[in-house]
Amino acid sequence: MSTLQIQAAEVRLGNTRVLRGIDLNVAPQTCTALLGPSGCGKTTLLNVIAGAVALDKGSLYWGEQVLDLPAEKKFLPMNQRGFAMVFQDFSLWPHMTVAENVAFGLKIRKLNRSDRETKVKDALQKVRMEKLASRKPASLSGGQQQRVSIARALAVQPKLLLFDEPLSALDAKLREELKAELKLLLLETGQTAVYVTHDQAEAYTLGDQVALMNAGRVEQIGAPERIYHHPRNAYVAGFLGAANVLPYRQQNGRLEIEDIGHWPVRKDFPESGLCFLRREDVHFETVGEHLNGTCLINQFLGSHYALEARFGLSQILHGHGKPGLKPGTPVRAVCDVHKFGFLSPENSYV
Amino acid sequence: MSPHRGPGRFGVITAFLLLGTAAGYPLTVLCLQAVFPHLLSGGFGEIFQPFTEMIHTEGLGQLMGNSLAWAGATTLLAWMLGIPCGWFLARTRLPGKGLARLTLLAPVMTPPYVGALCYILIFQTRGFGDRILGIPEPIREAFFGFGGITLVMALSSFGYVALAAETAFCALPPRLGDAARQLGATRRTVAYRVVFPLLLPAILNAGILVFLDTLSNFGVPAVLGTRADLPLLPAEIFRLVTSWPLNLPLATALSSLLCLFALASVAATRRLTREANGKGERVFQIRRISLGLWGNVWAWLWFGLLFICSTGLPYTAMLCMSLIENWQESGPTWTFNHYNALFRAGSGGRDALTNSLRLSLGAATLCAGAGGYLAYVISRTRSHTRHLLDALGTLPRVLPKIILAVGLILAWNAPWIPLRIYGTPAMLLLAYISIYISDALNFGAASMSRMNQGLETAAESLGAGRLRVFIQVVLPHLAPALGAAWLMTFIVCMRELVASLLLLPPGMQTTATFVFNQFEQGDLAAAMAMATVTIGLTTVVLILFQSISFFRTKDS
Ligand SMILES: Nc1ncnc2c1ncn2[C@@H]1O[C@H](COP(=O)(O)OP(=O)(O)OP(=O)(O)O)[C@@H](O)[C@H]1O
Ligand SMILES: [Mg+2]
Repeated sequence: MSTLQIQAAEVRLGNTRVLRGIDLNVAPQTCTALLGPSGCGKTTLLNVIAGAVALDKGSLYWGEQVLDLPAEKKFLPMNQRGFAMVFQDFSLWPHMTVAENVAFGLKIRKLNRSDRETKVKDALQKVRMEKLASRKPASLSGGQQQRVSIARALAVQPKLLLFDEPLSALDAKLREELKAELKLLLLETGQTAVYVTHDQAEAYTLGDQVALMNAGRVEQIGAPERIYHHPRNAYVAGFLGAANVLPYRQQNGRLEIEDIGHWPVRKDFPESGLCFLRREDVHFETVGEHLNGTCLINQFLGSHYALEARFGLSQILHGHGKPGLKPGTPVRAVCDVHKFGFLSPENSYV
Repeated sequence: MSPHRGPGRFGVITAFLLLGTAAGYPLTVLCLQAVFPHLLSGGFGEIFQPFTEMIHTEGLGQLMGNSLAWAGATTLLAWMLGIPCGWFLARTRLPGKGLARLTLLAPVMTPPYVGALCYILIFQTRGFGDRILGIPEPIREAFFGFGGITLVMALSSFGYVALAAETAFCALPPRLGDAARQLGATRRTVAYRVVFPLLLPAILNAGILVFLDTLSNFGVPAVLGTRADLPLLPAEIFRLVTSWPLNLPLATALSSLLCLFALASVAATRRLTREANGKGERVFQIRRISLGLWGNVWAWLWFGLLFICSTGLPYTAMLCMSLIENWQESGPTWTFNHYNALFRAGSGGRDALTNSLRLSLGAATLCAGAGGYLAYVISRTRSHTRHLLDALGTLPRVLPKIILAVGLILAWNAPWIPLRIYGTPAMLLLAYISIYISDALNFGAASMSRMNQGLETAAESLGAGRLRVFIQVVLPHLAPALGAAWLMTFIVCMRELVASLLLLPPGMQTTATFVFNQFEQGDLAAAMAMATVTIGLTTVVLILFQSISFFRTKDS
């Protein structure tokens, strides 16, 4: 059973088709991460769910309830949807104290004073901000402001919690910290959520399912592991350069990749097409025959070396290097043919 | 410690000398005079006598009440007219916004007393209104009194409120409203719990300027309110300083009362707006709503009506008056004679125009130059010195002009002044500078606060001296702001009325006093011709200036 259902959603802003037919379901008590590059329409989709932007085509339901159905001119205003949102820029009201910010939604819901106070205290405790309840937002650090903003949303126990890149205004260390806390918070409260981000790690950590967006469409949706290991198309495989996407041909009893090398035939692959190869599955050797590539960069990244090598004129392959390998050194690529994955061209939008 | 040297002691001393002469000295003499009535003749007797006299003056309560009520009513009306304009400009997709903004700027260019004179032409018995429509007596009655001066003053200041409101509406992130709507708030709740409190500082700040401007305005009630029995503080001070029997001590006591009102209202605004958030460095997209056909029509009716009332009607009246020879039953006959008379060699009008031009050019140039240097010194000075300079630089801006004028009369008439400046044209130049230097300073200060001090430190670390840093690093950055300051000072000096009336040497006229005096003497046509020429001249300068800066920005 899913609660939030989006079907064939389309939105046009100005002359741009910002959303071009989105289908998305969100199950109760799960978090869906919307992942995608800048400008792909993540914020717009979130605004559609929240009710800040209306659909031009398609439909949006909460269970049986219509939220937005342009075909029948039905639209539920933002203040009647019962959702709450956490913004990238915090958007705390500067003229109210921390406690007043958190209490705002409760006042709208006409809770009496003592209930309100307990709930505010509860919410602030959850984000460890109870000590600063009487401060004004301007006197808080970015991380503290975002905690308050999360508490403000949690306090009303919204049906659905929407996050728009909540961590991207924070520095790296704080981002890690708050990411872990958020994960725990979502698990503890069983909150249904949609989480927008352009950071892969965030999406994988927080999302029970991840939807990868590109230019107003959802390219693939599924559990993080599934997206990682079984990308549907070249776009997903290549997103953030996580994998090498290479054209191949099978002939004369072997699988050939131009300039790089050849492997035994994969019976499950068609004659030619695109395949992908994860970076961690590629290693580079400097000894032996057929040193047909040249190392361009060999970068130390802590857990491993990231090596980029050129084969032939312009074929680039990313993989793991090793210590002491200098740029300019001839190399060859070593990888297991079973690690290759096939990318079906039918799954790509044109 | 920062190795930064800044403008140094020389700068601070120069700043104190400049601001001291312009504001500190005259205001000190004014205050002392109010306490020691015999100060100028060298005695310290009868301490506080002026205040006792003031308290026992008949009708003091009415005087204060009228002044505050008029300023308050004008502010309210300007808010009511201006804030909707600001909202239309900032938050809707109204077509033709550029034009709408222009209609707001036009009244700002009109001196309030000229607006008042024009309305007299329309509303007086057998005026334009009577000729064309016939004005019912009760309306006329109401107009030549509290209602009229409030309306005229609000019409001349609502444009400023509107532009300030537009900026404030634009600076308000729409997210803040969304966040509240998300949590279930209705549009009304969002309006009064989120939007209103966040707009309040800007609205109050715009309001306080209108309030102060009205509180100290002399011209409008002087021409419009004379028929109604409506005593106001500036007029009373003016009377005590200019008409027999003179009573300077009482005038200074009333001046300090007016000062008190002004400072109290500024302090109150500061207090109320202290918590204003001054961030807003993020750029965000504003969602503008479509008003629909009828909405647009209503919005344009609103702008159009305001434009007709604030500019269209008065300007038509002004032009007609200056061009009409006489108006018989059959209709008016037209002439250019009034303009010819104005420009005839040796005529009073031509002299007045030359005087005003010279004084305004001088004052604008000196104010912009000194204001820029002062802004630099103040922004780069630390600790108590800075607060003192800041206060000295702000006072002339918040204190009524008439008070500074009275202070200048006393200060430069005093027996201990060796040079005879009072009674010469130089006095008027000094007065214009004293009154307007703080506005120029304000322009410069706003620009300084946006300048990264690192730029200066970088130049200094490469061995540049103080003067070089100021001229080669600071000045180019300040230039646009100083240009704007020059323009503004020029425009307001061309129309300055009350200081000119009080400080002009006998026999000398400026455009403003010419208009005022000719009107008093009944030569309405000459007055209106001069008003037209002055407004035309300042507008031409404004347009020239705008096109220069337009091409400048295009080049770079
Ligand atoms: N009001 C508008 N009018 C026209 N185009 C718009 C408007 N708002 C957004 N767009 C366009 O829609 C596209 C998607 O915008 P959106 O803000 O949803 O992207 P995003 O995925 O959230 O990006 P980011 O990661 O940078 O926040 C962008 O190409 C943007 O230029
Ligand atoms: Mg976004």
